[in-house]
Amino acid sequence: MLIQVLFHVFAVILLLAALGVISARNPVYSALALVMCFITSAAIWLLIEAEFLAVVLVLVYVGAVMVLFLFVVMMLDINLAELRKGFTRFAWLGWITAAALIVEITGVVWARGGLGGAIDAHRSVVAPLPADYSNTLELGKLLYTRYAYPFELAAVLLLVAIVAAITLTMRRRTGLKQQDISRQVAVRREDRVRLVKMDAEKRP
Amino acid sequence: MNPNLLLAIPLLPLLAAIVAGLGGRLIGRAGAHTLTCLAVGVSCVLSCLVLKQIWWDGVPAYDAPVYTWLVSDSMHMQVGFLVDRLTALMITVVTFVSLCVHVYTIGYMADDPGYTRFFSYISLFTFSMLMLVMANNFMQLFFGWEAVGLVSYLLIGFWYTRPTAIFANLKAFIVNRVGDFGFVLGIAGIAFYTYSLDYRDAFAAAPHVAQATLHLTGTTSVNALTLICLCLFVGAMGKSAQVPLHVWLPDSMEGPTPISALIHAATMVTAGIFMVARMSPLFEYSDAALSVVMVVGAITAFFMGLLGVVNNDIKRVIAYSTLSQLGYMTVALGVSAYGAGIFHLMTHAFFKALLFLAAGSVIIGMHHEQDMRRFGGLAKYMPITAVTCWIGALALIGTPFFSGFYSKDAIIEAVGESHRAGAAFAYWCVLLGVFVTALYTFRMLFMTFHGPERFRQAAHGHDADHEDGMGDAHGHGGDPHESPWVVTLPLIALAIPSVLIGALTVGQVLFGSYFGHAIFVLPANDVTARVGEDFGGALQFALHGMLKAPFWFAAAGVAAAWYFFLKRPELADESARRFRLLYRILCDKYYFDWVNEKVLAPLVRGIGTGLWKGGDQGLIDGAMVNGTAEGVGWFGGVLRRVQSGYLYSYAFWMVIGLAALLGWYLTHL
Amino acid sequence: MITLVQLLILSGALFSIAVAGIFLNRNNVILLLMCVELLLLAANFNFIAFSRYLNDINGQVFVFFILTVAAAESAIGLAILVVLFRERRSINVEDLNTLKG
Repeated sequence: MLIQVLFHVFAVILLLAALGVISARNPVYSALALVMCFITSAAIWLLIEAEFLAVVLVLVYVGAVMVLFLFVVMMLDINLAELRKGFTRFAWLGWITAAALIVEITGVVWARGGLGGAIDAHRSVVAPLPADYSNTLELGKLLYTRYAYPFELAAVLLLVAIVAAITLTMRRRTGLKQQDISRQVAVRREDRVRLVKMDAEKRP
Repeated sequence: MNPNLLLAIPLLPLLAAIVAGLGGRLIGRAGAHTLTCLAVGVSCVLSCLVLKQIWWDGVPAYDAPVYTWLVSDSMHMQVGFLVDRLTALMITVVTFVSLCVHVYTIGYMADDPGYTRFFSYISLFTFSMLMLVMANNFMQLFFGWEAVGLVSYLLIGFWYTRPTAIFANLKAFIVNRVGDFGFVLGIAGIAFYTYSLDYRDAFAAAPHVAQATLHLTGTTSVNALTLICLCLFVGAMGKSAQVPLHVWLPDSMEGPTPISALIHAATMVTAGIFMVARMSPLFEYSDAALSVVMVVGAITAFFMGLLGVVNNDIKRVIAYSTLSQLGYMTVALGVSAYGAGIFHLMTHAFFKALLFLAAGSVIIGMHHEQDMRRFGGLAKYMPITAVTCWIGALALIGTPFFSGFYSKDAIIEAVGESHRAGAAFAYWCVLLGVFVTALYTFRMLFMTFHGPERFRQAAHGHDADHEDGMGDAHGHGGDPHESPWVVTLPLIALAIPSVLIGALTVGQVLFGSYFGHAIFVLPANDVTARVGEDFGGALQFALHGMLKAPFWFAAAGVAAAWYFFLKRPELADESARRFRLLYRILCDKYYFDWVNEKVLAPLVRGIGTGLWKGGDQGLIDGAMVNGTAEGVGWFGGVLRRVQSGYLYSYAFWMVIGLAALLGWYLTHL
Repeated sequence: MITLVQLLILSGALFSIAVAGIFLNRNNVILLLMCVELLLLAANFNFIAFSRYLNDINGQVFVFFILTVAAAESAIGLAILVVLFRERRSINVEDLNTLKG
């Protein structure tokens, strides 16, 4: 009972925060609303007993990705006045499409007894679990055995992302005198030394 | 018969034509005329040799291919020769007249810049005509047919800087083309039924095709052989200038006189007559087609003769005479008297060529004047021309003992014996035609050679509307004089057969077995045989003829001509004024030219322009070619707007697509 | 008790809002990236819901990977954004139309 109330409260906050993301004028407000989204969804995930992921969401997403977003937003010198030009002439079509999507998804899920009878619409997602069930343990069991290879790949992917991000945004200062090792090593004797034959000079 | 001999007959003139045409400047004028005259002379000798072999030596006819051009699915297209008695007669006539014209041209075209070109053309013509008459299959016949039409075009427009000449040669070619269209349809009909182009197969299949019917549309069907024969005859109408495809022949007088003699009197225009006679095995099985042939010929014979009475250009009078005589030949074919038609073709070739060449002699004597109103009393200046012209005229009107009498009378009697539909009409046409022929012929004679010397009187009120603006008929050109021997010799050469050949050959050719298997006549239709029942020799035929109707009609015509044009010429003008309407109609040539020039030609040109502007430019170029290009371009332009470069646009469309897809899945699953 | 249907509807609504945000927004590339994050969040919701419903832990493993990839992708996206801003001095989407055909 309590769970249901909590769920509904969090759900409403989540949706309102999402609407806030898309309708805020100031991008900083949008980012903050997005943080709110993530936190409430972490809460919901806790409610349905996926605690590892809920915490990871907060740590990684909110802690790292959203911080990065905020950094960038604040770094860019955005003209707020220009941003106030809001929605354009196709706004109405956008709203209609979004509404259509919602209706369709709801229709799929709900109207025909839940995915055409595939789901037992009245069973709780929160199934009873054994007392010593550890979500983290279960995830870890799978992650380092069956999904070890994708795990390593994910790590490489992150590495690539780091390198890419740095390469893209790195600025070089002009006028620096830097050593170019490859050119140094590639020097040839003919470029540096010139032998000249000269007669000995008589000392006067 | 030696095939090489036969090959030499057409090929020698061809070689001469090529050499004279391409190398005219190299070999010079003398070279050109010597070469071509020699070539045609040898062809003439060889043709006489062939005639002797066929007639006196009794050598069987030669019918074989010489060269196979291509074979398409069992239909052979070959060059082949069929040399039987009909062919032998034709090639002799053609080469003899051609030789005379070649010699004549040496004198007539002496001061023309296109001398060598002319000789090349007339030799080429000789080749084409020989190929036509020696053919043993329809393809070669058609080749010869078209080739003579082409050379006729080249020759009529020989003086190509004259607009009237160009008009005339185009007219001849186009009218011929109309006839050729029918001709090709006829040939196609034959090929359709026999799947072969050889005469032999066509003739063998004729009785069967006569039973077949062709379904034209849903309800109408027509006897196949009748239709085929009619189509073939349309070709003959074009080539032999029968009404209504006769309009080109008077205009063709724009060409030099030698070719009027060669092509438009003796040879090319007789191609149609020859063709129908050659196709007698086909035509005999179709009474309806033969009736049409007869009626068309009769109309031409009479009505074209009338036009000769009112015309003032000497060459045009003779041209209308040719039209009329061709009508006689066609009538003969129509009553199944093919032999009589060919016989008249032969005699007519001689005396008509003679008349044309004589007219040419008069023209050069009068310094290229052609209007008979400016002639008169020339007999004492040009005696040889006058005498030979008289001989030709007498032959033409059918004076007993002259050659024209035998052929013409035979035709008239044959028509009288026939019971075919329309024969009565034809009989009266040919009979009255005799009167008309005599009238215009002697009008021409009297106006030209006798009576007052009008060329002297025209000294002062004279304006320069000559045919080519050169020379004038009075004073400083000199008096009219006799032409040089190269001109008068052919005249004499042609006068002799005009007198003799009829009497000498009528027994054998007409009533004997000369033609043998070359001409096929069904026994029921054999009017010639019926005429021949009372034939007792040439002399008896002539004496008998003086008692019959045609002779009296001719005499009446001569008398009328003498009275109206020599004794009291003012009566002629008086009658013209009295019968104004008739005179108008005759002068306007029954309005055939008017219809062609003002109605038919603009109509066809209009259709052509419409198809050009609407169909070709508008539809094909505009809509199909350029239209598709522009359409593709337009479509590309429309599509280009999708590539707006805006990220949001792309995202937008992706999402809309997604929503639509979801919706579709929802409703169909 | 929380039923699967409720979770699915929630995630669907979140997805739709994010989609609406993508193309209703015309002036801000950062907002675009944030909406992409929301989309990924909605997908994660689905995974976890089904994982719990079917008692299959594999769904949650996949969420793990999605999180990784999303982090990498947002890092690079922002890097591109920064470079773009340096060149264009504007993050208005309507100025970014050099790919126009």
